Amino acid sequence: MTSPGDGTPVKPPPSFSPGIARNASKSRFPDEGEATASLDAELADARTGSSPTSPLPTATTELPIRSASPQSRSGRSSTPQLARSSIGSPFDGRSDGSEDIRSLIIRAFSPTVAIHASEDTDALVRNKGFKGGFRDLVRPYGETIPGKVIIRDSIGSSRAWDDYGVRFVNIKGLGLANTGRDSPLAQMEEVLEKQLNSEETTLGGPISGKDVLGVPATTPLSKLFLRQLLSSTSTTPHETFGHPVASVIAISSRNTAPLETLRQLYAESSTGDKRLPDWIQQDYLRYYVLIHDEERDDIAESTKLYDQMKRHFGLHCHLLRLRSSQCVVTDDDSTQVPPCEWLSPREHLSGVGEAETLVDLGTDGTPYLFDSDATAIRTFIRELMVQSVIPFMENRVAVWNDQVASRRRGISGRLAAVSRRWPFGSSSRSGIGSSGGNTGNYDTTHNFYAPESPEATLRKMADFAFMLRDWKLAASTYEMIRSDFGNDKAWKYHAGAHEMCAVSMLLNPLAMSAKIKLESIDQMFETACYSYLTRCSDAPHALRSLTLAVELLKSRGGSATETAARWAMRVMDFGLVESIGQILFMERVAACYASKTPVTGAKWGARRRKAGMWSILAADQWLKVGKPSLASACLEEAERLYADVLEVDGAFPMPEMQTFVDNLRHAVKVEYLEARGFDARDESPIEDPIGTEEISEKLDKRSHRRSLIGLPAQLDAGNLKLSPGPGTLEEAPNDDFERA
Amino acid sequence: MSYYFTILSPTDTPIFNIAFGTSKGGGDGIARFRFPDTAQYMNQFIIHSSLDILEEAQWTNGGMYLKHIDTYPPASAYISAFLTPSGTRFLLLHQPPQLPTSGSSSTLGASSLLASGTTRSSSSVAANPTSAQTEEAVRQFMNEVYESFVKTAMSPFYRQGMEIRSPVFRGKITAAGKKWL
Repeated sequence: MTSPGDGTPVKPPPSFSPGIARNASKSRFPDEGEATASLDAELADARTGSSPTSPLPTATTELPIRSASPQSRSGRSSTPQLARSSIGSPFDGRSDGSEDIRSLIIRAFSPTVAIHASEDTDALVRNKGFKGGFRDLVRPYGETIPGKVIIRDSIGSSRAWDDYGVRFVNIKGLGLANTGRDSPLAQMEEVLEKQLNSEETTLGGPISGKDVLGVPATTPLSKLFLRQLLSSTSTTPHETFGHPVASVIAISSRNTAPLETLRQLYAESSTGDKRLPDWIQQDYLRYYVLIHDEERDDIAESTKLYDQMKRHFGLHCHLLRLRSSQCVVTDDDSTQVPPCEWLSPREHLSGVGEAETLVDLGTDGTPYLFDSDATAIRTFIRELMVQSVIPFMENRVAVWNDQVASRRRGISGRLAAVSRRWPFGSSSRSGIGSSGGNTGNYDTTHNFYAPESPEATLRKMADFAFMLRDWKLAASTYEMIRSDFGNDKAWKYHAGAHEMCAVSMLLNPLAMSAKIKLESIDQMFETACYSYLTRCSDAPHALRSLTLAVELLKSRGGSATETAARWAMRVMDFGLVESIGQILFMERVAACYASKTPVTGAKWGARRRKAGMWSILAADQWLKVGKPSLASACLEEAERLYADVLEVDGAFPMPEMQTFVDNLRHAVKVEYLEARGFDARDESPIEDPIGTEEISEKLDKRSHRRSLIGLPAQLDAGNLKLSPGPGTLEEAPNDDFERA
Repeated sequence: MSYYFTILSPTDTPIFNIAFGTSKGGGDGIARFRFPDTAQYMNQFIIHSSLDILEEAQWTNGGMYLKHIDTYPPASAYISAFLTPSGTRFLLLHQPPQLPTSGSSSTLGASSLLASGTTRSSSSVAANPTSAQTEEAVRQFMNEVYESFVKTAMSPFYRQGMEIRSPVFRGKITAAGKKWL
């Protein structure tokens, strides 16, 4: 595709019209199949050859491609964007998109490891150019652990994952409330806006950005939105994904009193000022790391120290060998530090990831590392996870499952729960304060469960199982505890358990037999969203649960996609997202409907018209916020969706719709060209190829709705349409039978 | 309650359109949709998009009256459909009046419905678009329209797929709307 930098002419927004030219090509090349290919070649030549001073003629020459009929589209598989719309099974590529989203969601719930580094360690790392200290150094590498990670689930079968990750956080400030100037939602909107603007300048219009991915199911922008959303939630008592599973206590070989420092760091984190808030369970794994400075210190010393550490602290130790000098791009074995994938909106705004995303190679700001260092860090993280953290988590889950959960599952546990809930005889649950019908473990003044209470432990166990991707166990555990939270009126916990229960059920690839399940999942999301929104007024979490609902239901396919679309509409209705978010959700609705495939063998069951409508609406909104290129992408998408259901490309049967779409097309075209510095205002919409003259040329091949064709009891609907509208000429060659 | 009624030919071409409001409970029979005046095309978009559902419903539902088939939540527009044996579709979009208190933030549902003096009582049809009474009222309306439609279609000057311009027909539809909705 052309880009503005090449000096090639401006490409018109693709959606202008199913134009005259299409007819022209039809009449010129009766045998369309091969003809279009050659036509394309010609046009490609013409495009590269022509000069930028005459953009409009070029634009018109290009129209035939853009507006080509499905047959010719399938002929042009060279551009990804059109390849995806090749007729036959337009949704072939879509499974990848949803897999992608699934993986994104799964990776969002990675275990958290707190970093607790000594002063000298941070100083060493800062020397290397990482201002944030040790955590900044390891964080990008933790996001994907190289190689397969094998996890055993509760029934003893193991499964290997190659997209496992870990999230490193600083122990300081963990669990503090998000004290940004505005809410995460507003920040997210800001990030989106920033991204949009930067895309406009760097990519020359997000059309190309969209085309690169090809799959309309996941535009980069909505992916960014999802990632932002999933990384925006701060650590809260009601879910333990943000609670550290382990903490890495790091010292460097520069330290003069290493063992003493380690002890001191440990004490700081368990009793001192870096102690985590009360609602975080304190018995997480401690992992000790000695960072050896390759350039200044003696390895023999460090090995001796390391042996000593191993004797003191057991197996959870690691010797990390790093070079202390800063690496620059010109160094022999320099490698670029991968960009962080999971930046919270706040970090995005403060410009953490900026250097990687915006600045070209070679400029300062982009951190580089020696190859040996990068390898050492990767090995360290892999060892940390595979040998310590994951076994620790597996062990915990097994122990809790044995000690806490099974007791609840047994008959006596159930009886106890029941009797607790309805104390026989006395005054029942209306009692005052913490007791009275509930378990009494919920601290109503601070709104959290003590971490040792069975409820908190079960929630933690479920979260661990979720992070270990044992969704079956997670779902059953959430299921078990969700009503308890309701009885205790711990609404946030209640909402969280419902949300995660539904999510883990949806993630579980095996389960989910029938509609009943879907209904119950719907119900759970409903409850979660009500609890979050109405009872706790926690909009970010509500938005997260609804977005997860949309994405996961959509990836389920079938009738679930409609539910997904409904949830997306709910999000808009609740006003959880602002203007750009609204538009993104419109696109999501369109994508949900578009992914509903027709019943096999029949022509009905798809939701093309609905998808098309939402795309058009999204295009309208993009135009209103001044993003004509995005609008035109949406418009094009809508055209593709409508192509199957409209008799004539781009000609709607309803007059008001037609007017609206025509005006929209024209407005998009004008704004698009204006944004590129051309004055297109003199073109009036009347000149739009959808003129009357063209319609008279249009040859309508079908006399029936497509859904009726091939079905018995064919209705002999009249082919004689005398009404204004798409004319029908019976003598048309029936070259359209493939579509029927 | 505002109504938008469309008859579509088997090839999706509209052959008759009418918008009207409820006449029950003191309504003045004037349609007040939630869309601003500049966005009246939304009715057609919604109707058109519900054809997806209709095409599915017509193979699963034996009757001619397909009942309430689709909803467009952002504007709380409800679609009921009726299918004639010749494949002509009657589609009725009904939209309950927006309550003055509901601060819907939906961009599309932005209301043009001013708090006009007509206080609509909670007559069963207007209040709840999915209730049994509404279904019944719509069914009666559809049947009456069907009768008029058949008579019109049997006119020797009418051919299938032609737009219906007969003022008599329009009058009959209006009357049916007044009577039932």
